Amino acid sequence: MSSKRASTMPAPPKPPTSLASSLIIAEHASLTGTHLITLGPNTVVHPRARFNSAHAPITVGSNCIICERSLIGFQSDAAANERKGAVIENGVVIEVGAVVEARTVGEGTVVEVQAKIGKGAVLGKHCKIGPLCEIAEGEVIPDFTVVYGNGMRRLDSSGVEDLKLKMVARQIEVLKKLIPSNLAKFQ
Amino acid sequence: MSKKQPKGEYIETDTGNKVSRRSQIIGTTNIILGGKTVIQAEVIIRGDLLRTYPPSNPSEKQGNTVAVAIGRYCFFSRGCELRPPGKLYKGQFSHYPLKIADHVFVGPSSIIEAALIGSHVNIGASVVVGKFAIIKDYVRILDGSVVPPNMVIPSFSVVAGRPARVVGEIAEGEVDGMDLREVYRGVGNA
Repeated sequence: MSSKRASTMPAPPKPPTSLASSLIIAEHASLTGTHLITLGPNTVVHPRARFNSAHAPITVGSNCIICERSLIGFQSDAAANERKGAVIENGVVIEVGAVVEARTVGEGTVVEVQAKIGKGAVLGKHCKIGPLCEIAEGEVIPDFTVVYGNGMRRLDSSGVEDLKLKMVARQIEVLKKLIPSNLAKFQ
Repeated sequence: MSKKQPKGEYIETDTGNKVSRRSQIIGTTNIILGGKTVIQAEVIIRGDLLRTYPPSNPSEKQGNTVAVAIGRYCFFSRGCELRPPGKLYKGQFSHYPLKIADHVFVGPSSIIEAALIGSHVNIGASVVVGKFAIIKDYVRILDGSVVPPNMVIPSFSVVAGRPARVVGEIAEGEVDGMDLREVYRGVGNA
């Protein structure tokens, strides 16, 4: 591996962005690509999170938490019915290292550590994709599904979605104080 | 055949810690490294996820803000991540300190969100340790395991699987192999 030196390659394209003013985006987050990236209010983007809109736009709702090393955005060209790109709804938590190429991630869903969501998949509301789990391309996951272990699924019928959303909101309050936001860099 | 190391891959501190220049350590003032610890490239340590004390004693000064405390002779391979776990406790969300003891080896691309890791622990590659897990001493976690949140792994166990289960015990002789002093000496700088 060559040692670190001043970058001689041109910087990756800076995408057009629409960032809400109450967004917390860490300085070392990386937004690249050519399509529009929209990040909603009250969302927290940890350092080293990567958004890549080279092939399709990305929309993130409010009250989301995007953790480090996660990769959001299509990695190859979008099909005709995926022109809207990746849409992440409100209250979604994307944990460390997850790769999300889904067309839609429903409200309140938690994508756990290093999960891989294939291109164009549709995740329902309040789902939980366990750590290291993989969702195939184009797959549709119904609401309230929990994907865990080696591809096992079950339905979450505990009825605590509202409490979970409140928990995410509390977490965001705390993260707001801990992570310095650098909106100007990405606008 | 030895490749000439790039200039100063590792920064060596007074206490003998070897920290790669390409590691991504955030919140360095809240991280304690015991000494003789190796941190390879692309390791992320979140020292910024501090404990947010409930305002029960506002006059008391927060002297001790430690997010991550690491012991001696630890080895953090490329791409791993140490993150203090957080949870909602009595209506208040807070992160809690991550404490790691001596001679802990963490394999590449592993993500550690445990509360406590004991000494002489060997964690494999691509392991996910869930929030608030407690790993006792002399444990080996095999590659690709997922330790669920809040799991307590007893001493001298071998753990594997998703979710991780105890699959064996550390043999008497293996205990010496978990000492990381030789590994530390092997980490070179041109």
